[in-house]
Amino acid sequence: MTNSAYDPLRPARRPGGKPEARPVYRVLVHKRFKRHYEQLVARVGAPQAQQFWDHISTNPGEPSPVAATCILRGRAGRPQDEGWSRTYHYEITSMARADYQFNDQYKTATDGDPHPVVAILTIDYSSH
Amino acid sequence: MDTIFQATDLVQRRVEFLDAARAGCARLRDKDGTSLVMIPESRLRWLQSIAKWASLHLRLEELVRRGVMPSVTDLGELAWLRALNLDDLREFVEELHEALVIASADESCVPLDECVRAWRTTARQLEDSLRRQVLLGGHDPDDFEEVGPPTGEVDEDLERLPAGGISDQ
Repeated sequence: MTNSAYDPLRPARRPGGKPEARPVYRVLVHKRFKRHYEQLVARVGAPQAQQFWDHISTNPGEPSPVAATCILRGRAGRPQDEGWSRTYHYEITSMARADYQFNDQYKTATDGDPHPVVAILTIDYSSH
Repeated sequence: MDTIFQATDLVQRRVEFLDAARAGCARLRDKDGTSLVMIPESRLRWLQSIAKWASLHLRLEELVRRGVMPSVTDLGELAWLRALNLDDLREFVEELHEALVIASADESCVPLDECVRAWRTTARQLEDSLRRQVLLGGHDPDDFEEVGPPTGEVDEDLERLPAGGISDQ
């Protein structure tokens, strides 16, 4: 056969397709602020709530093109345990803000699989 | 050598005067001998910012040297720092010093603005007792719950939700 698709010098494709460019973070919320999280869409609107979710679940710690962010200073900005990032402050809207840390190698048990997580520490809806 | 313009030059050499100002500084000798300068507003803002924060830095450094948390009266216009403790205050003084050096070298307000904004935000987050407790506590996995993307379901308790957090759980 002269028109075969088989090329013996061409390597086979990687099983499972291309690896994802970025890990997707699982999102945890501090129980004291769980109800605040549940109110996010009602408080700030679906687009802003979704932008916040997209930011923390895909690229936490990086500047956001749509929201003001900064790292908290002093004791409030320090990692809460080994492996955690510093505390990031994200202004969802002028009336809503959240603080979070992330961990790229989080394990729920010592023999568990490490996976990336974001922990939302606080959410507040007060105006400045 | 810098050109010193005369008051009459504001009419006769207006473009040249404005070009000098735009380039950084235009000097003018008034009829009574007073020396006046015109500079870009951004440069004025930078000079004012350096002067203000250098002065506040000196004052704060002196307060921190006493080894006790300054009172609100001592802090004066920096009273927004009252939510911090002495260690935080020392860290602020160090970072402010660094920001002043960089702002001065770069002729830019940005390092100072960013430093002060981050510390103001931190102080504001620590004002609320529950936020303070969570932010300054260690990580305990039992304190957290996994959540999915936010949904539009409205909780019937929305109106009763306090701004700072839920303290009775």
